[in-house]
Amino acid sequence: MPRLRILVPVLVVTMLAVACSSASTLAPTSVPAKPAETKPAASPATAASPATAASPSTAASPAASPAAASASPAASPGASPGASPAAAASPAAAAAKRLRVGLVTDVGKVDDKSFNQSAWEGVQRAQRELGAEVKFLETTDPKDYAKNIDQFAQDNYDVIVTVGFAIGQATQEAAVKYRNVRFIGVDQFQEKTVDNVSGLIFDEDKAGYLAGALAGLLTQSGTVGAVLGTDLVPPVVKFGKGYEAGAKAVKPDIKVLMAYHPGGLARGFTDPDWGKATTTQMIQQQADVIFGAGGNTGNGALLGALERNVLAIGVDTDQWETLPQVRPVLVSSAMKLITPGVFDLIKATGDGSIKAGNQVGQVGLAPFHDNDSKVPAAAKERLQQIDAGLKNGSIRTGVTLP
Amino acid sequence: MERSPLGQTLLVQALAVLTGLVAGAVLIWLTGGDPILAYGGLWEGSLGRAASVSETLVWATPYILAGLAVGLAFRGGLFNIGAEGQLSVGALVSAWVGFAVQGVPWPLHLPLALGAGALAGAAWAGLAGWLKARTGAHEVITTIMLNYVALLGTGYLLSGLLKDPSPFVIVAQTPKVLESARIPALFADLRVHWGLVLALALAAGCWWLLFRSTIGFAIRTVGLNPSAARYAGISVSGTVVLTMALSGALAGLAGAVEVLGVNYYHTPGFSVGYGFDSIAVALLGKSHPLGVIPAALLFGALRAGATRMQFVSQIPIDVISIVQGIILLLVAADELVRRVYRIGGRRPAVSAERAAEGTVARSWGRAE
Repeated sequence: MPRLRILVPVLVVTMLAVACSSASTLAPTSVPAKPAETKPAASPATAASPATAASPSTAASPAASPAAASASPAASPGASPGASPAAAASPAAAAAKRLRVGLVTDVGKVDDKSFNQSAWEGVQRAQRELGAEVKFLETTDPKDYAKNIDQFAQDNYDVIVTVGFAIGQATQEAAVKYRNVRFIGVDQFQEKTVDNVSGLIFDEDKAGYLAGALAGLLTQSGTVGAVLGTDLVPPVVKFGKGYEAGAKAVKPDIKVLMAYHPGGLARGFTDPDWGKATTTQMIQQQADVIFGAGGNTGNGALLGALERNVLAIGVDTDQWETLPQVRPVLVSSAMKLITPGVFDLIKATGDGSIKAGNQVGQVGLAPFHDNDSKVPAAAKERLQQIDAGLKNGSIRTGVTLP
Repeated sequence: MERSPLGQTLLVQALAVLTGLVAGAVLIWLTGGDPILAYGGLWEGSLGRAASVSETLVWATPYILAGLAVGLAFRGGLFNIGAEGQLSVGALVSAWVGFAVQGVPWPLHLPLALGAGALAGAAWAGLAGWLKARTGAHEVITTIMLNYVALLGTGYLLSGLLKDPSPFVIVAQTPKVLESARIPALFADLRVHWGLVLALALAAGCWWLLFRSTIGFAIRTVGLNPSAARYAGISVSGTVVLTMALSGALAGLAGAVEVLGVNYYHTPGFSVGYGFDSIAVALLGKSHPLGVIPAALLFGALRAGATRMQFVSQIPIDVISIVQGIILLLVAADELVRRVYRIGGRRPAVSAERAAEGTVARSWGRAE
């Protein structure tokens, strides 16, 4: 069988190649803009079930403002990403003109349980509540950013949401090309203002402050820890300093152990072993609440806390969803509330109140979920006061970056 | 096993592609999509308009070059799985030359950047060739391992040393290459660029090299039978290193044209998959330099059309990858296609005498 001689290497090599390619897509991308990029248990690629619309981000967070906490009802089946948006005419479409909203992901999927998904949920909420016509495009190669944006722009969409820092430049360029389209750039800091671009950014120090306050209210030993990605990335430092400030605000004599990953951008967000080992050290130094912020490094910290059965706080999105194995110890997460942020900006576009430039979205703590009983009622009340204070400006984190 | 004529080979390849598309349609239907709408979008996005054709050609350009790289190595009996790594090394170095070398006019700067990319790819692949020639280390293993070194190494450099120093750039990417190092577009307002012409010229060049030159004869002889080659006085180890270096140069160029012709910067995550897709392109093109061109165009069309397909039908973009996978599977196992469509692989050939030597099923560079 001479054919067989040929087929065997084909199969072997194809398998090797596939193994390599899947490894290579995961390995080298250290994207500091999205520290919480973990791949949870494999979810079916498109079958984002309606249940995902009862999103972690829109769900009432213990410390969020009423606006952010308006828990939306579970989506109608029409709101699932797979369905044709045309078929999903919402009864709420009272507006004379149906807003047409398109979303372009960075290299990622709308069911990534992270930024892309949260942003898409914001768009879906616009579909339900504003009767918008919505559609998404998932990008597989950075060179398609402009092309994917073009698809929506040339089809006369009113709003185009682009997710992630990496697609920011393509967004700015498209905005100059299509002056009549409103662009919303999630996590895209606007260096210079373009009239029709609104960048949705977040105060990481406030999110960290809330996490620190929670840690300070929960600690028995008087020592808490924070395991962070590299301090070369300003948002990480803001999370860390905010955490320290928040913990000291509720418990002035608290000892806050902080560790930034020393490996720079290349390793800072992709070193769960270091995160775990550092967490173990902190626990040996009596820390009994751990804040993990820094992609997979931070996830390693949460896993380390799980190993020693010490309370942990996640970051960016509700890690109850993104890292289910740490649920036993995960008390909350310091979240960037992308879903309401995107929704508010779409809504503002609809009523004409949208502004260009950097728009600061809200942050908040994720629900306590099954660990609700571990948080005393007094602590919850205090957190609500702090959250309100941060929002109305009466509380400042005091974090400034050089 | 006797050779199949060119016509029959083409028929089998075409049927493999068609079967892949039909299987894809069934898959789309099974996942609740509308295959007609989806394929309508695929057509519109790949060939339906001038801009779509341009996008197909933009995608096809690196595929042609990387497909040539893998095909050339196949001819020399070498399995270069490392195109992915060579591509990223080539892209990185050409980007670096593109932004770091300043004050040079474009007739000098552009060839310099392209050449540096090709050279980097050649060195990277040549290393694997040298390891094989000197130590007998199998190139499949070494090129795969060098892929990791290349991808993670470039990732490291992109996050540090070669990162755009602007404080507003928080992701790992190089600064933009200077205008003088950019490959000009072929037409105004379309992205297809002169890199395509370069790729086509190199395909012709590869054909000439393989089938009309002494070096090509040595490469093919070593590929067919190293012992015979050695007996005939051909330096086997030298040819192995040369084949790998040439292959790597082509792969490096594939990365360079992407950086200098399309993106104008390099970032990790960009170029992921080209190197592996190019194995499929080379197989579909039967490792023939001219066969690689239509294969690359097909893969380019599938990739370029995927956006529009996704847009009109909201079908996940992964379906395209599955269709590609099915096509590859059928091409690799072409006996299956022959059986299904009852094409007599064993019957006497219709016009066997003109069966181009290179187009027969000798995908692995070895006699069957």
